[in-house]
Amino acid sequence: MRFPFRALPAASGGILTPRPVVDIALEGLEAAPMGCLLDSGALRTRMSAELAPLAGIELTATLTERFYLGGLETVGSLTRVNLTVTDGAEEFTWDAPVWFCDPWPHPFGLAGLEGFLHHFIVTIRAYDEYLDIEPHPQAHTT
Amino acid sequence: MTTMTVSGHTYDLDPQRVEKALNGALPEPIHEHFVVINGRRWPPKQVLALVTGLDRADFTTHQARRALTRLGFTAARAADRRNRQPRESVAAQLEPADARTAAPPQSPAEELRPFIGQWVAVRGDEVLVAGDSPKDIVSWLARHQQKAQSVFRVPESEQLIGGAAPQ
Repeated sequence: MRFPFRALPAASGGILTPRPVVDIALEGLEAAPMGCLLDSGALRTRMSAELAPLAGIELTATLTERFYLGGLETVGSLTRVNLTVTDGAEEFTWDAPVWFCDPWPHPFGLAGLEGFLHHFIVTIRAYDEYLDIEPHPQAHTT
Repeated sequence: MTTMTVSGHTYDLDPQRVEKALNGALPEPIHEHFVVINGRRWPPKQVLALVTGLDRADFTTHQARRALTRLGFTAARAADRRNRQPRESVAAQLEPADARTAAPPQSPAEELRPFIGQWVAVRGDEVLVAGDSPKDIVSWLARHQQKAQSVFRVPESEQLIGGAAPQ
């Protein structure tokens, strides 16, 4: 399954260097897959806490952690959810730990090791501006 | 100011009044015709209904297109989704009068430029909808039974897409 890098406009004019972004749908939000920046240096997979109620995910009584991201203090709440990626032809679904963070001023979610990279074989072709993913044969991905 | 009659009612309209009437509204899905206002595509009937307060059954798409092109807005016909051509073809489908002022085809990144700082839902190179929050986007998709390929906020700065590394 291939994801072209995401080209974005620069506010000051021109175009930002295209970034590796995968579109990941939360269970309950299949019509609105969230763009997530692929972050091989991140342990967690993180998304905005705004998304949880939209997907019917309750964040009460979950494990929380306070951390800094990009200089901003935020609180993440952990829950396990079903995630799906699709390119229209293939579809992969897996159960993943996701940290829903508040505040989350970032434009994308972050797809890190836990929750995403541990489940896939990921080939990044930065020069060609795309990445390929396939489920790892030993990961629980359907 | 342009005076026009729609469904027996007379209106004095100008582009600023049209743009103001769209504040806070989200464009509905484009089925065939659209007009470009503030860098976004709008169904002509939705725009004219918002501007005049008339029921959409009171006028035709053709009347709405004509009224809005008289005010200087670009009108065009979307490519057939079942046989969608690259975005370049949209410019080719502009009516001759509009084509004179049509901008050259834009890159996907440039298509996102009007929405810097906003949440968007995209499918291919097409921006389906833009709004102030993911809730706006999800509600719109559900209401119009649309499926996006990706939802995200168009970043205001490169720093916001620097990943989790300390900055």
